Amino acid sequence: MSAHAPSAGRVPAPAQYAEIAVPGAAIGLVAGVFAAGVAALAGLPGVQIATIATGLGIPLALLGAGYCVLLATGRFGVGAVGPVALYWLVGFPLARLIDEVAVAGVLGHDDVLRDPLLSFLAFQALLSIGFAIGFLWLHERLAPHWYHRIQRHNTAAADLMRRYIGQAAAMEERRAAAGRGRRRGGS
Amino acid sequence: MDSSDINSDRPLGRDDLTGTETPPARVPAQRGPVPAESGAAAGGGPGGAGETPAPEQERFWKAGRLEPMPIRPLPKAPPSIHLLGPTVFLVALGVGMGESYMWPRLVLIFGPEIRWLFLIGVTLQAVVMLEMSRYAMATGESIFFGAARVFKPLMWFFFVTAILVYIWPGHLSAGASAFERVTGIPWQATAVTGMLLVGVVFTLAKVVYNLLENVLSICIGLLVVGTSVVAAMVGSLSDLSTTLTGMFAFGYLPDEALSPAWFPVIVGSIAFAGPSGMQQMWYTLHLRDKGAGMGSHIPRIRGLRHAEEQETMPSRGFMFDTSDPAEMSKWKGWRRWVTFDAFVLFWGITMLVTVSFTVLAQASARFDPQVATVIRDGERDAALDAMAASFTAAGSPVFGTIFFLFISLIGLNATLGLFDSFSRGQADMTYFFVPGARRFSMSKLYGFFLWGLIAFGIVILLFGPADGPAAILDTLAFLSTFAMGAYCVTLLLVNNLTLPKPIRPGILPNVLIACAAVFYLGMLFYSLFAYGVVVS
Repeated sequence: MSAHAPSAGRVPAPAQYAEIAVPGAAIGLVAGVFAAGVAALAGLPGVQIATIATGLGIPLALLGAGYCVLLATGRFGVGAVGPVALYWLVGFPLARLIDEVAVAGVLGHDDVLRDPLLSFLAFQALLSIGFAIGFLWLHERLAPHWYHRIQRHNTAAADLMRRYIGQAAAMEERRAAAGRGRRRGGS
Repeated sequence: MDSSDINSDRPLGRDDLTGTETPPARVPAQRGPVPAESGAAAGGGPGGAGETPAPEQERFWKAGRLEPMPIRPLPKAPPSIHLLGPTVFLVALGVGMGESYMWPRLVLIFGPEIRWLFLIGVTLQAVVMLEMSRYAMATGESIFFGAARVFKPLMWFFFVTAILVYIWPGHLSAGASAFERVTGIPWQATAVTGMLLVGVVFTLAKVVYNLLENVLSICIGLLVVGTSVVAAMVGSLSDLSTTLTGMFAFGYLPDEALSPAWFPVIVGSIAFAGPSGMQQMWYTLHLRDKGAGMGSHIPRIRGLRHAEEQETMPSRGFMFDTSDPAEMSKWKGWRRWVTFDAFVLFWGITMLVTVSFTVLAQASARFDPQVATVIRDGERDAALDAMAASFTAAGSPVFGTIFFLFISLIGLNATLGLFDSFSRGQADMTYFFVPGARRFSMSKLYGFFLWGLIAFGIVILLFGPADGPAAILDTLAFLSTFAMGAYCVTLLLVNNLTLPKPIRPGILPNVLIACAAVFYLGMLFYSLFAYGVVVS
């Protein structure tokens, strides 16, 4: 994990973090709306569609936003797969559980889950790896454009952009150093 | 041949920078204008305006009888922790009917244990991908050019095969049909509109590669996130665990799988595990356009509207100085970069999507045990309907809709990727090997093949069978699988005969590629001679 927290004199306002959270929140929301859209095309009742959209979309959006904030505060490394996978290992089953509870509650079902809770959570946790990869794939594709766009008025975004650039430069330097070390060792 | 074949042992010239003199690193996506060629000294390149002064004495790498490759510096590799590369095209092309339909169908009929064959198929494809990239990144040339360096008719075989197999808009019609089932919009209208849209967008794009990478990346991201969410909603832990453990049931082949009805289907499914036909060969063109390795010395293809801005294409690729340890260090960086792509992105995402689809299929079978019987007898379209119907019967209308929506998305991905790849590959071979073709720019040739494909596709969609006349369907299926065996043999020849020794493949990759050739060709001919049926 990186230690690139914003410097003390330029602590961003909550609004700045909210702006930074947009890409992650959007991806989470799209995932939830995707499920609701499929349900709508399938002709499910409106109340069920709305419940899926909110019950799944909002938790995923909040968790997606949380990822961006943790990234901006330096708790996650830029583009690092491991921490994101761990994050969604907990977050994805939680979001799905909220979704199932919401749907059962709205539709008045007695049984909230088809499977025992532990089996349900284990299954969701395993599939969370796929979700994490897809999330990161989309985030890395979209977020840098957004941060580049807002960095002029958002110091936290500017700091994040510097980290994106700095990470690439640092990796190049490490690689060059490793290459020099290998050559010395080999001679 | 080895590094000593480079035709001069003078100190490296101005253009032949070594590690300490390497220009500032650029990741491929950020690369600037293409370095101009030193065509005069190279003896035959068309050259272009704004060339840098040529070194007094050019150094070359001789490979085959074609024009030697001038020695140029290898750019530094980007960090291997990245998420997007040319693999996006292979994933887009690879995650198709095989992953979404053929393998889930086999699982429903033979059980999840049959997936060990899928594991082998995708893993072999990842190795093929790595070996394809070896030649493309070392030279900036496509594998077609490499084949021509070994034996020109070999390249013409692929040129003709590409036309025979890929001009039929079958992929698009499958996706459009699925879309019709969800929305009610006639599939011909969707397919024709889709083709025209693809043509217009690619024509207007300044740099085709950048546009396509962006669009496909978003599509694949949505596909991965979407399949994960949907599988999480309808599957269960037991579906997932049997799907995963089935991948390691090596050797499982029930008697029915060896029947004339199913063995050709299994061969076809293995061939369609990941990218099939010539898609791996086209990947080398995307590597070049991405600027991977020595591809950074080659201009990128521009859309037809910007064809006049197209830089002059060199008449051949380039080679780096493999006797220079600094250059070899950079080469290892590129190999790490592409290995990450092959195993984390290509292998991982292909596996992920097919696992999700198999979980969906298992969920439907759990609710409706008759699904296998329904699917067993159907033709493709009938079986697609049966699968969707079984999904619907299994839970709710959501299941069937999901299935068709994903097929639509996959059809769109495949169409974008295939249209671009076909045009790119044919333009590449035409530009370099058809006499007189160089008076057109690569962009114009690309546009010619793209719009030719679209025009033919529209005519066929409106007036003919989308997959091609029934009489030649078997031939096309045979050619598609045969091309895969043939490109493995081509790879072995190209990598071992035309590359300098220090960067040739080791014994393990060679053995694996040879095994892949035997695997594809062996099963194809076994199917043909033992059952009298080609793959289906």
